[in-house]
Amino acid sequence: MMQTILLMLSFLVFYPGFAGAQFKGEIVGQGGQKFPIAVSPLKNLGTAGDAAKLSEGLADTMAYDLDLSGWFKVLDRSAYIEHPQNTGITLGTFDFKNWSTLGAEGLVKGGFSVQGDEVTVELRLFDVYQNKERIGKRYTGKVKDYRRIAHKFVDEIINQFTGVPGIFNSRLTYVSTSGGRFKEIHVSHLDGTEKFQVTNNRTINLSPSWTPDGRAVLYSSFKDRVQTLFLFELYSGKETKFSPRAGRLISGKVSPDGKSVAATLESGGNSNLYLLDLGGNVIRKLTEETGIAVSPSWSPDGRQLVYVSDRAGSPQLYILDIAGGKSRRLTYSGGYNTSPEWSPKGDRIVYTGRVGSRFAVFTISADGGDPRKLTSESSDSEDPTWSPDGRFIAFSSNRAGKYQLYITQATGENQRRLTGSGGDDTKPSWSPRLD
Amino acid sequence: MAQSKLAYWGLVFLIGLGVGGCAPSTTPKPEGPTSSTSESKSPAGQPSGAGQSGGTKESATAPGSLDALQKGQSTATPASSPLKDVFFDYDRYDLRGDAREVLRANADWLKKNPSARIEIEGHCDERGTSEYNLALGAKRAQSAKDYLATLGIAGDRLSTISYGEEIPVCKQANEDCWRQNRRARFVVIPTRPAS
Repeated sequence: MMQTILLMLSFLVFYPGFAGAQFKGEIVGQGGQKFPIAVSPLKNLGTAGDAAKLSEGLADTMAYDLDLSGWFKVLDRSAYIEHPQNTGITLGTFDFKNWSTLGAEGLVKGGFSVQGDEVTVELRLFDVYQNKERIGKRYTGKVKDYRRIAHKFVDEIINQFTGVPGIFNSRLTYVSTSGGRFKEIHVSHLDGTEKFQVTNNRTINLSPSWTPDGRAVLYSSFKDRVQTLFLFELYSGKETKFSPRAGRLISGKVSPDGKSVAATLESGGNSNLYLLDLGGNVIRKLTEETGIAVSPSWSPDGRQLVYVSDRAGSPQLYILDIAGGKSRRLTYSGGYNTSPEWSPKGDRIVYTGRVGSRFAVFTISADGGDPRKLTSESSDSEDPTWSPDGRFIAFSSNRAGKYQLYITQATGENQRRLTGSGGDDTKPSWSPRLD
Repeated sequence: MAQSKLAYWGLVFLIGLGVGGCAPSTTPKPEGPTSSTSESKSPAGQPSGAGQSGGTKESATAPGSLDALQKGQSTATPASSPLKDVFFDYDRYDLRGDAREVLRANADWLKKNPSARIEIEGHCDERGTSEYNLALGAKRAQSAKDYLATLGIAGDRLSTISYGEEIPVCKQANEDCWRQNRRARFVVIPTRPAS
């Protein structure tokens, strides 16, 4: 089972109103210049051995995250002049010129000390341009969780620049064949580390999604032959099977308040949306389709669902007002629009649309305007999911052969492959922010 | 195992009738495990229970697709099977003329084998979204079921399941494969002892 995360942090220095205004080169904005930043390996402040792994590992993780965000240009470590062990980590104990010479405008330095299986890490962000410290934090956690400390600090850096914390302490759950013929549910960090396999039943498991508290994954499975939903609690290993009286549950998503599930139930060939409780019991039927209604996704306020219906003769997106029971069509362009997910900001919906014989990721305004294609139709890109801050989208694409997971900024810029499993990785769902 | 012994009854009956004579003259290959006791994974008393049909040595019908997947067997319906697959157009679940013809032949077999119950599997090609394809597969299975019912087959002999795009019979990404995957297939459910 996944370990409860023990991560304590104390604030060394905090600049309340600072939101990046004094940095040269704002990082937000389309097509903007990437912010050049150096991430020094960390200084070992203690006496314990095996320090190289942490020194480089913490820096590597931060560099990976900063690079993945698309907002930073992380300067090549081989060019760094200072040796971390021979210089200090606080203002005045190192020379900014050694970093400005390299073109760095931001600098991350820090140190760590290991006590038993715990590590204390001090991290600082410096403004090389103005010779100032911008963030200083101390974290204590398990040595094996050192990457989470690095993710946390990057989230702070992004907060300094944009006023909104980053999302690097979040995870993806997804379907993976891991090179075999079965489809199992996996969870991992964005960098592919801390992998956890939710299912191992050697059948077909699909459509994983998170509960809003990030503590459980809802997925569908054929493991008991009839497809239904299972709610798996990551920290206890407890699992609840949904057992509808009739029909089969194809997929479901837990509501933003965590109290109900919007699900697709197929019965007699017709697939309709239902509202279920967390035990899988039907609260009420939401649609009366004689065809197909699938893939509901909640609006952030929990009042509407975007879903797929074939009532117009091809799959298109519709928005259902849950209280009023009325739905309106959202997509009109393209003959095949599916797998919608509502942005956590509420303004846009991401989905998969067919372009010629290929599939691409699109976003559209929740009022139906301004559809934008984010991925190229030279390959297939499908099953998009929003980051918890709504600034990124993860999706599955076969652009490099097998289906692998990719991340892009919500504008479609800076598309990057996440670590692959060796099999086909599909149907990602992005967690809320985690600790 | 009494249960699986009974399971063979319909098949023995079928072979006795000589139905499915279009099969090649070669001996059916013993693809399945020789004993159904090897099926330790399936819990007893599952609702749709196609699970025990996979182990027949002389089987003219195919095991259910999920069983075949679990055992690493082909999910293709053997040419010798008296119950043929029916095929669909892309993103469609209405029955084509050729599908109706196959269904009439399948209905004839079901009339000659009145104790046989079948599970109709709906399948899709890989294009499009998993969840939509699961719903589409359910529609395809239901279309086949409804047509068999209009041909006089009792509804309680027919159950449906959709595997969407999840268990393709052909795995290349081209139209020749895709049209083979857009199918409904018919699996004889083993007879269960009254208990």
